[in-house]
Amino acid sequence: MNGGLEAVGQIRGAFARAIADVGSVHGVPMLRLRKQDVPAVAHYIHTDPHVRGSLSLLWAVDHRPREGRYELCYLFTLAARKEWLLLATDLHGDEREFPSITPHLHAAKWYEREIRDLFGLIPVGHPDMRRLVRHEHWPKGSHPLKKECAWDQVLERVQGEYAFRKIHGEGVFEIPVGPIHAGIIEPGHFRFSVAGEPILQLEVRHFWKHRGVEKLFEQQRLTEAVPLAERVSGDTSVGHSLAYCQAVETLLGMTVPPRARYLRSIFLELERLHNHIGDVGAICNDTAYALAHAHCGRMKEQLMQLNDRLTGSRFLRGVNTVGGMAMDLSGTQLSQVDAELQAIEQEFSGIEKILFANASLTERLESTGVLSEHIAWDHAVMGVVGRASGIDRDLRRDRPFAAYHECQPKVAVYRYGDVRARMRVRLDEVHESIRLIHTCCRQLPMGPVSTGPVEAPTPGQWAVSAVEGWRGEILYVVMAGAEGRIHRCKIRDPSFVHWPAIQWAALGNIVPDFPLINKSFNLSYAGNDL
Amino acid sequence: MFRIIKKSLSTGVVTGQYPAAKALSEPVSREAIEKAKPFRRSLTIREVDTGSCNACEMEMNALANPVYDVERFGVHIAASPRHTDALVVTGPVTVNMERALKDVYKQTPDPKLVIALGDCAINCGMFKGSYAVTGPVERHIPVDVRIAGCPPRPAEILAVLETLRGAPADRDK
Repeated sequence: MNGGLEAVGQIRGAFARAIADVGSVHGVPMLRLRKQDVPAVAHYIHTDPHVRGSLSLLWAVDHRPREGRYELCYLFTLAARKEWLLLATDLHGDEREFPSITPHLHAAKWYEREIRDLFGLIPVGHPDMRRLVRHEHWPKGSHPLKKECAWDQVLERVQGEYAFRKIHGEGVFEIPVGPIHAGIIEPGHFRFSVAGEPILQLEVRHFWKHRGVEKLFEQQRLTEAVPLAERVSGDTSVGHSLAYCQAVETLLGMTVPPRARYLRSIFLELERLHNHIGDVGAICNDTAYALAHAHCGRMKEQLMQLNDRLTGSRFLRGVNTVGGMAMDLSGTQLSQVDAELQAIEQEFSGIEKILFANASLTERLESTGVLSEHIAWDHAVMGVVGRASGIDRDLRRDRPFAAYHECQPKVAVYRYGDVRARMRVRLDEVHESIRLIHTCCRQLPMGPVSTGPVEAPTPGQWAVSAVEGWRGEILYVVMAGAEGRIHRCKIRDPSFVHWPAIQWAALGNIVPDFPLINKSFNLSYAGNDL
Repeated sequence: MFRIIKKSLSTGVVTGQYPAAKALSEPVSREAIEKAKPFRRSLTIREVDTGSCNACEMEMNALANPVYDVERFGVHIAASPRHTDALVVTGPVTVNMERALKDVYKQTPDPKLVIALGDCAINCGMFKGSYAVTGPVERHIPVDVRIAGCPPRPAEILAVLETLRGAPADRDK
């Protein structure tokens, strides 16, 4: 029955001597390994036809103040029933090196570089040891997530230069773009190597907006960090705050009342709606189809004004709180939402017809920026981008949270992996979101919308939580510290996974199509850089 | 074609359909209005994000949608600092963006305005004190106008831009 446990049995059979301990963390099976065995086990989980795990998250925790060790955790999502499986290993005493799993799993590439930068732990055998988060002007030895590093000691500045990967050959030249871009976009650097028009290589250099968010979480109390979570990536305020709240609620043993669960689904879908409609418009804008852009822009604005009327925030901030909701919706408000969304759906369907009747638009979208299923799988891509490349994953169906057990979300999956497929996924999800909100409004139970804490967390206890935001899976790992504080909060916005993948989707395309491809991914820089 | 015309007719004019802006927490200073005089009917803006959470960017983008349609007031978004009259800066200045911000300021020709948009640009907001944040925009370049809010609503941004135009009365002309 339980895929996770089955897989554990299988792995125990194959690696009897490597496994030191079998446990579980809030229902997720966890295997503790010796560090030298991790690459082999990870490789096995990734490639074995019955297990087929993709790496969802890799994070480190500094336990040194109390226990004198670093811990590394690997979270896998198994293909068959989308169960989770955890691997954990320890680095004791003065150990600073751990074997890299990147040679076996592409998906680990950025995670391991991030751990090296923020903790100073070295992934031995990693093919790319350049700095990722720490730009070259950070002083040597600055690893801010180590516990002895002060959270408020602003970094000094030294000299240093990032080495971009070079492509040599006749007629090959480089186009640097960023960090400040031409439009109203967040900062990031793209380095194209081109021969004539086609892109031979794209290197993404990010983390310009690194604000030290994870360290800021460590200064907060468990129950009070929701506003910070809402500002990890502004366009995903509900997604991030919900993921954070769920993790803390698991830690504190809270059961969220049914009405709050339904409201959470409604707000999460409202957030998905305005973002998806805006994205469809933006994709059209990048093909110079201003009419669709204008219509989508106006509908997005209508939705944001609706958000404002409902909650006092156009971004639905201040809605989620640990234990439930900070506000409730009245019957009149609910029927308003329902009526307005029905009108928007009708309008949106009209726009869709106009879009697909326009050959010059669809021609530009088809076969542009293809991300093949194979590459998507290797990079553990999910969310909108994954579903456009045939990766049938959606947490709303696979690991239902909020009220999704009771409204059976339908998952839109397309195979071609091009810009058109990513737009189609969004179009389908707009309709599905409106249906889900409609269902939730109808089934919304009466009762309280929040609950108080049940138990105090023991320091060192932790929980993982996952929410299908509009971009994809948002993961939060929250570990309790002393006196209700946070010891560690690992945040993973889907953008962190998708940025490396976009480097593959751009290959072979012409430079002028890159903005279009980028728009069809529409990734967060803030959520990536943290 | 028929479908498109029908759609446009049934939609009608949406420009201006937004709730009125609340009173500004900090009025635009006389000096700033004086400084904006040369740009009156055509203010070209360059948006620089130095570490925001991207909500301010979304609201700046919303200004260009048909509902706010900022271009009708002669406000344009430039793709280069060389073509810019006013820099709109969002977010606390991160360690990694500090140099880029100073460069962009140097590359913008005089006379120029700097507008700090959102609480983070004004006082670092939630990110105050972090090891990766070097301070508010003001610490690095002179700021003329501040628009508070997390994020400020498009109507509020528009109200400030209109004040800078020095023509709040004739907005619909």
